[in-house]
Amino acid sequence: MNQLPLDIPLKNFHQNNGAKILPFAGFNMPINYKTGIINEHKNVRNHSGIFDVSHMGQILIQNNESYLYKLEKYIPLQLKKLIKNRSHYSFLLNKDGGVIDDLIVSNIDIKDKSYLYVVYNASRKKEDEEIFISCAPNAEKIYNKNCLLAIQGPDSINVLKYIIDIPNNMSFFDILISKYNNNEIIVSRSGYTGEDGFELSIPNECAENLITDLLKNENTMLCGLGSRDSLRLEAGLSLYGHELNENITPIEAGLTWALDKERLEDENLNGNEVLSDQLKNKISNKKIGLISTSKSMLRDGMTLFDNNNNEIGKITSGCFSPNLNKSIAIGYIKSEYNSDSSIFCEIRKKLELVKINNLPFVKKNYKKNGSIYE
Amino acid sequence: MGAYMSEKKYTKDHEWVSIENEIATIGISNHAQESLGDIVFIELPSVGNLVKAKDEICVVESVKAASDIYAPIDGEIVEVNNNLENDAAIINQDAENEGWIFKMKISDSNQYSDLMSEDEYKQFLEQ
Repeated sequence: MNQLPLDIPLKNFHQNNGAKILPFAGFNMPINYKTGIINEHKNVRNHSGIFDVSHMGQILIQNNESYLYKLEKYIPLQLKKLIKNRSHYSFLLNKDGGVIDDLIVSNIDIKDKSYLYVVYNASRKKEDEEIFISCAPNAEKIYNKNCLLAIQGPDSINVLKYIIDIPNNMSFFDILISKYNNNEIIVSRSGYTGEDGFELSIPNECAENLITDLLKNENTMLCGLGSRDSLRLEAGLSLYGHELNENITPIEAGLTWALDKERLEDENLNGNEVLSDQLKNKISNKKIGLISTSKSMLRDGMTLFDNNNNEIGKITSGCFSPNLNKSIAIGYIKSEYNSDSSIFCEIRKKLELVKINNLPFVKKNYKKNGSIYE
Repeated sequence: MGAYMSEKKYTKDHEWVSIENEIATIGISNHAQESLGDIVFIELPSVGNLVKAKDEICVVESVKAASDIYAPIDGEIVEVNNNLENDAAIINQDAENEGWIFKMKISDSNQYSDLMSEDEYKQFLEQ
């Protein structure tokens, strides 16, 4: 892990546009631009913003029954039944039901061939690809030739539709192949901000042109990973390495909705017994949202206590919420505590009262969809 | 002895110090403000506290991270910038003037002389 951070294809473009670049998950990434994280955050909530997330993993796996069967050991979905042109939030699970990674799996045709297109975390490329390649030896990593760009915010559709053909009835988590200047690009209506938006997998050589075209709309702007983090936190979305890791199951992480319940009965799924058992019985820890009652900032790693000074949990992500104008956090506490409990967070050796808040902190603004399977 | 305003000096922890009539005014440098990004909260020190150089005395919180502010020299805190309590972003707008954080009565002016001049600080940043 001591290797020098890698550059994303458009690093120079971002630098020339005033990006502050810092290493993240092994890549030199734009954290924010000149106007700052809060301004970028608000622009996404009110208009739209453009993110370069080319550090993320992207892989194409041939839609072949034997590959899918092997992948179903790790992914808690019925992969054979995925509807074409739809995406799904899912996981790679280890033998104990812990999360090796969280990812988006989509079923798409590219040049008449059927594929699973998977987008996964930069920080987990090594672990994930070991699994993908073991299940499907000819799986094709495409992140070296395709940038991954996102446009997020309520205006996204109005910015994008003049540049790329988007069908009127495209819902959140729909995915399709479209064209930009005669180049095939993968367009999904998705994102990581709680807002409507799109992610675009586009050949490196035309990515800068696409961003330049998007920026012609005067209400959109380049945004970095700093605002991406505060946006996803307000939306209550989990971040691998914080809310998710190999010792946390999707059920403990409050992501039971993303598990296919039939697959939990299937012995071919890693951790199926642990997960079935957690569904029937109580779990010992649960994921919660927290709001600061003072001006202090809640941060990753801070310890939570009850009013008898018993340690009851930890914060896994915290930030300043531009929408709520105070600090918010996600963390885990023992399941017996709830919103009636007085909970204290240790901030610089002082205990401060914090309030449990249902997730998300800011209502999601997705264009809703149909069913999961055909 | 007439009032005089000293040259502004800098610490390696990216604080600036200027002295007028044995009272030092302290804030964070414009460079520090830029690298912290949007500042959302500051926990100000208490007036009357006696502090030693290098003591952590207050905390600036940006959207991304918390950052300790150290006493640049020994002395007593005599005033804090209460405007920052309601609007810590003043530091982003004007770190080296309106964004001053606290004032202290200093006990050893040699400590002040040992700090970096503006040119020395610029060189320090380039290293």
